[in-house]
Amino acid sequence: MALDRRLEILAVCGVGMGSSLMLKMTAEDALRSLGVDARVENTDVSTARGMSPDVVIGQGMHTEEIADLAPVVITISDFLDKDGLEAQLRDRLGEQGWLA
Amino acid sequence: MTGPAPIVAAIDGAVADGWRAAVRAAASALVEAGAAGPGYPDACVRVVEENGPYIVLTKGLALVHARPEEGGLAVGVGVTRLASPVEFGHPDNDPVDLLLAFCTPDPDVHVGTLAGLARALSGGLADRLRAAPGREELSRTLKEAVPDA
Repeated sequence: MALDRRLEILAVCGVGMGSSLMLKMTAEDALRSLGVDARVENTDVSTARGMSPDVVIGQGMHTEEIADLAPVVITISDFLDKDGLEAQLRDRLGEQGWLA
Repeated sequence: MTGPAPIVAAIDGAVADGWRAAVRAAASALVEAGAAGPGYPDACVRVVEENGPYIVLTKGLALVHARPEEGGLAVGVGVTRLASPVEFGHPDNDPVDLLLAFCTPDPDVHVGTLAGLARALSGGLADRLRAAPGREELSRTLKEAVPDA
């Protein structure tokens, strides 16, 4: 692992408790497949603004609002598409040198 | 996390002239089942008005919900199948023909139920709900997906 600590990942949605929890589970599955050690939290967009994660994941309508919150911002359209999210995480974490 | 089994509600063939009516129908099923208070359907519509149609989680499927303090009385999960699909204005996942609705009295108590629902959706729950021949089967299929929270 190129990063000497656990990655902090934030799944965001509007309310912060329904959809983002689904997204968190999809992200955890994808990260497990990639063998990445990460902590995934879920929250709403307003709360997210006060946080400083390494990676933010959300729908475009939300990630546009918080595009500068994290070094890696991933926009998805399907909260349940584990394979699609895994591919994006592989690319984007790879760019940062955060994959083993 | 353990607790009482969630209340499950199902509506088949709901007629909605747009996403607001569809969301209200889906949330009203929870009100009728005694899981949510009377203000919950409007709160669920407001979530989308204020935050955009992000509740359309995947192709054709929306997860209708609002914050617990908007009227969650018990953990409730509902499925509503529309007579004809509606547009939410989602860039990728429109039109929506299937709505899952969710309510909880407490932000922590719902995690087990939603986790079960997420796993079931990844395992093809939406297709099974679409294929259910009637309201009884809709309800039973959803119940199997969300056993005790």
